[in-house]
Amino acid sequence: MLAAAHAGRRSILQPQRAAQLFLLPSIVVLLLLLAIPVLYSIWLSLTDANLSAGRLDTPFVGLENYSNLLQDKAVHNALLNTLYFTVVEVGGVLLLGLSTALLLNHPLGRWSGFRVLLLLPWAIAPVANAVLWKWIYHANYGVLNAILKSLGVIDSNVTWLGEPFRALNMLLIVDIWKSTPFIAILLLAALQNIPRSLYRAARMDGASAWQSFRYITLPSLKIPLAIAAILQTIWSLRTFDLIFVLTKGGPADGTVVMNFLAYRVTFNFLKFGYGASIANLIFLTSLLLAIAYMRLLKPVGRR
Amino acid sequence: MVLALALFVLLTMAPFVWLLLSSFLEQKALISTPPDLSLASFTLANYREVISSAAQLAKGIRNSLIISGFTTCLALLLGAPAAYALARLNVKNKDLLLLLILAAQMFPAIVIVIPLFIAASKLGLIDTRTNLILVYLSFNLPVVIWVLRGFFYSLPSGLERAARIDGATTIQTFRWIILPISLPPLFAAASFAFIEAWNEFFLALIMTRQNAQTVPLVISSFAGQYQTIFGQMMAAAAISIAPIMLLTFLLRTTILRGFADGLLKG
Repeated sequence: MLAAAHAGRRSILQPQRAAQLFLLPSIVVLLLLLAIPVLYSIWLSLTDANLSAGRLDTPFVGLENYSNLLQDKAVHNALLNTLYFTVVEVGGVLLLGLSTALLLNHPLGRWSGFRVLLLLPWAIAPVANAVLWKWIYHANYGVLNAILKSLGVIDSNVTWLGEPFRALNMLLIVDIWKSTPFIAILLLAALQNIPRSLYRAARMDGASAWQSFRYITLPSLKIPLAIAAILQTIWSLRTFDLIFVLTKGGPADGTVVMNFLAYRVTFNFLKFGYGASIANLIFLTSLLLAIAYMRLLKPVGRR
Repeated sequence: MVLALALFVLLTMAPFVWLLLSSFLEQKALISTPPDLSLASFTLANYREVISSAAQLAKGIRNSLIISGFTTCLALLLGAPAAYALARLNVKNKDLLLLLILAAQMFPAIVIVIPLFIAASKLGLIDTRTNLILVYLSFNLPVVIWVLRGFFYSLPSGLERAARIDGATTIQTFRWIILPISLPPLFAAASFAFIEAWNEFFLALIMTRQNAQTVPLVISSFAGQYQTIFGQMMAAAAISIAPIMLLTFLLRTTILRGFADGLLKG
């Protein structure tokens, strides 16, 4: 009896049990907030769930929502917008992020103040940022029109958010401006991990600056760049605040991306089942990207 | 090179400079072309007006402080032990758990928001601060675990052995040896969680109506309602980002080194 009590007491104190004790609360919370909702969302997408008179009806319809997705013009439009938005956004952010990182890694750009500057666009709340750009883009009094007019680029005011494709591009500019700094920070950290001795050796062998970049910098940045591309794609798929504040999806649905469509279908049209099926498409894409990211973090052999 | 640096500074700073300038300028000066930047047009009226008349904003700030504060404390309380276990203890299926926690950070909120909204309606939690405090754990807890795990992982391996020789249990070791030397990373993780919660918009938009509105919602509806009083709009925006800018500035070194490295190395 004493021995049993002793064993019981010991078992709580054993590292194995402590580890379970440490992990359990977090796992329960994440199950409740993430795992169960995801499963429920998958089930919802197989029903024609809709909110009517404050009641949620969930008649089972199988894969009907998913087959409707294929024929829905609104989905096609949102897919095209998302594809364009993501490709340009990620491409732009990587290109500008890499340029900025190289710039700040150059002896002239090493002043730490430059790096702190990078944190500004990253930290500003997306909504405050969107409100700021709404003012900058304002058709009558916006400072963008004022500057371009005084430079002679345009003759009369442009309604920047007034046409579908132009509005999408203007959103891209804001999003790239806001997202570039963090990727620059990421790539800067990667640049600083490249051993200096490599560059010294290259210089002794008579390599030019371009050759050093081409044969040392770029190959060392291959994995960091891939990581940056994946993370930025995941983040880009989540863009919402900017669209909500600046265009609400308009004009003529020109700035409706998949994420925004799922929101609109669910919370404006109250079609919970169909909305869930759109959301699940985004989820699946993000999940695949997250797995790819995980693979990159653990190159074979480090396991 | 110098030219490129100048361009970089200009492009990064210009929108902020314009935000601040506008917030101190009279409406009359803002709507003349080009904007009238003479000293006479500068005023504090926008801030006075926003602070005194917009009761919404004061309520939003109070809500945001309470929600961000509580969710951050909860995330640390739950996340720190979990991060420690994942970094330094023997855990079954560790790789799988790590993958799930990493994936959890990347969840598009749209996937979980529909079920959470239904659950919150059934529990009568719509438009309450409690609801957002709990829901925000969905992204804050994974982030806190991830940031702290990286730090715990980098601690020297002899710590636990020395403690065990002195007869300390795992829980005692964590409480009395690991936590006291982890204050800076705990502070950093807390700040990340706080910033994320303070800036969050989407979940708050869906889960609140009037009572539990957070700052981003107030700013967004402010921009919708009074979108012609530009100076006040910018003053409200400036007030809403001030606490985060301060936190970011205090944490600049940690963010620049730690966070980026954490994402690259895992």
